Amino acid sequence: MKKKWVYLAAVAAASMALAACSDPSASTGATAGPSGSSATQWAASTADLKSVELSIWTAQSTAKVPTDVIAAFEKATGAKVTNVTVPDAYESNVQTRLATGDKPDLMFWQTTESMLKVIQAQTALQPLDGAPWADKIDPSAQKLGVMAGVHYAAPIKAANVMGVYYNKADFAKAGITETPKGWDGLMAAAQKLKAVGVASPFYEAAADKWPTQWGAQILLADVTAGGFYDRLNANKDTFANPDVVKQLTAYQSIFTGGLGNANVRTATFADQADALMSGDAGMEFQIGALVGQIAASHKLAEIDKTIGFFPISPSGNVGTTISDQSNTVVAFKTGDTTKEAASRQFLRFWLQDYYPTFIAAQGYVSIQPAVASPDGIPQATRDASPTAVAKTVPSMQDAAIVNPDLYLNLTDMLYGTKTPEQVAEATQSQFVQIAKAQGAAGF
Amino acid sequence: MTELTQNRTHAQAPAGAKARAKARREGGSPHPWYFIVPAFAVLGVFFVLPTLFNFVYPFTTWSAFTPVIKYAGLENFRSVVADGTLFSALKITLTYAAVVAVLQNLFGLLLALLLERDTFLNRVARVFFFFPVLISALAAGYIFQALLKPNGAFNQVLGFVLGHDVSTAWLGSTTWTIVVVSLVHAWKWMGLSMLVYLAGLKSVPGDVVEAARIDGASRWQVFRHVKFPLLAPAVTFNAATALLGTMNGFDIVQATTAGGPARSTEVLNIFIFRTFGSGLYAQATTMSLVLFLVVVILAVPVVTYLRHREKVLG
Repeated sequence: MKKKWVYLAAVAAASMALAACSDPSASTGATAGPSGSSATQWAASTADLKSVELSIWTAQSTAKVPTDVIAAFEKATGAKVTNVTVPDAYESNVQTRLATGDKPDLMFWQTTESMLKVIQAQTALQPLDGAPWADKIDPSAQKLGVMAGVHYAAPIKAANVMGVYYNKADFAKAGITETPKGWDGLMAAAQKLKAVGVASPFYEAAADKWPTQWGAQILLADVTAGGFYDRLNANKDTFANPDVVKQLTAYQSIFTGGLGNANVRTATFADQADALMSGDAGMEFQIGALVGQIAASHKLAEIDKTIGFFPISPSGNVGTTISDQSNTVVAFKTGDTTKEAASRQFLRFWLQDYYPTFIAAQGYVSIQPAVASPDGIPQATRDASPTAVAKTVPSMQDAAIVNPDLYLNLTDMLYGTKTPEQVAEATQSQFVQIAKAQGAAGF
Repeated sequence: MTELTQNRTHAQAPAGAKARAKARREGGSPHPWYFIVPAFAVLGVFFVLPTLFNFVYPFTTWSAFTPVIKYAGLENFRSVVADGTLFSALKITLTYAAVVAVLQNLFGLLLALLLERDTFLNRVARVFFFFPVLISALAAGYIFQALLKPNGAFNQVLGFVLGHDVSTAWLGSTTWTIVVVSLVHAWKWMGLSMLVYLAGLKSVPGDVVEAARIDGASRWQVFRHVKFPLLAPAVTFNAATALLGTMNGFDIVQATTAGGPARSTEVLNIFIFRTFGSGLYAQATTMSLVLFLVVVILAVPVVTYLRHREKVLG
């Protein structure tokens, strides 16, 4: 009697183990790739969709962004769209859900190649080539979400340009009247700021970790323009490239040379916002989120009066762009053609019919040349839009096939537990590990 | 069996009692074996099954990037070991677990001794000290993260007491923050240790203590030579669960420092969480298996020693 149960349990365990060797998220009967969708139908944006239910996944920071669009779409078409907020860490939790086979119809996602690979875009997402909005979007935004020549993203917001946000009063006090050019110009400006008594010519937030990557990436702009990421993606170059290490060392020298904030190890993103507005910080390497943080407690007029923006790169003023999950929405292949068509219709409604209302409500810079940006946007934000910067290069997130935790290694460097060489080494080894898992050619 | 389930008159009641008495005499359970099936089913699905999978997936190429899962041999183990990060995370986890085990038991024991007598005040105090056990670990972590900021409430109180501004970054030291986080963890769970020690203290025979007192032993001597040895079973339970349970710690560290500063508090579970977030599922499972094995390897000598000590002292 006992032995029977032991055998039964062993067989059950073995069969469950074997069953484990299959991925529940693999879509059985996935629809064909791009060639199969050349006949993609784009229904009119307000066509009737009664009894169609769609779901859209949003992050905590974008939870409220589609609320008005959804309400308007539901009213116009009779469809029902459910907004599901996936808690932070967004990317991690989305992957967990997708791995269990759970799938939305639409989702906010950072559509860089590295992040598209993570959700297996080629099999999981609907290609959005030939979308009715395609030629109405600014060229800088059209590049978002393209992998192997196929568009997977609907761009709803301009990507960020990383650059320097500066305090106007501090600059005036230091007698800086022209936009600093290149690394030398930036250092000269920092010295002038220090000379007139600005507490922190540069202000970094190592406690929150993620802000530390913008400065380093900005300094890699020249290397990027020289084709670094193309070589890196083919395993023909590494982060240990002396040019890269030189820039990381330059970034570190800001803090070892006394031009950074003394409390860098415990300063947070919120501290950065406060320091820039108060003048304690002269300059900060940041992205548009900084203005968003400031705007939470300061009025537009005050923001325009106090801070400004300029892009910078080691040899000039080339901006480095970075997109995140708030910039683009993707549509999944769910196997249900009605829902898939409805998702595309929703995106069309959002980007065509509802777009002017949308950007006015959100205060976004327009990425459609035919639609004017609304009033009430801080000048610094307008200046930091890819549509306003003359020349840009992509960031690591946008250009590399893998997104290693560079910011963690940079934070270690600011804490003094890693040298620039070790930062490069650690970033490279993680890059290779994930590239291998991706099955990338050359690794 | 049917006697137990059908409606019966008072006259028939003794028949069910007879069956139970018979089962007890024969050393079996008075309840049918299938009563435990639901509990086992839940245990099986949510614990046994994942643990079994934990032995399967590390040998595959499971990742976020492809739906195909292939056999990969020992490749994951090689890559996880070659990195060096695994060993540093293990070291940090062991340090964390050891410090928590010591502090949690120390605080628990002190509280139990303090609140041993059943006065009204003691009973109320016991409840209050048990509250932290009941709250969410993440919530506790977030509260302490806010309290321990350089300009947080803790420094403000300290500054008020000391008379000058205090802005120590309690969560910003690469050497000492691990101790601070261990303290938070110990604070959260000391109520449970206290409870177990209270039960242990209650089981110390009163006449032995009285005899010791009559013989002229001081309070400290009574504790050291009578109570503490007889507390051995409670110590076994508390030390083992604190040490081995904390090896699996995640919530409090994640909420207070997220593994920082500079990864000095990155316990193994946080490293696994990050690796999983990069899409490297097989590597994350490999690390999870390593943690499982380390806990097992640690558990055997720890529990053996403590049980041996129980027998010697009890």
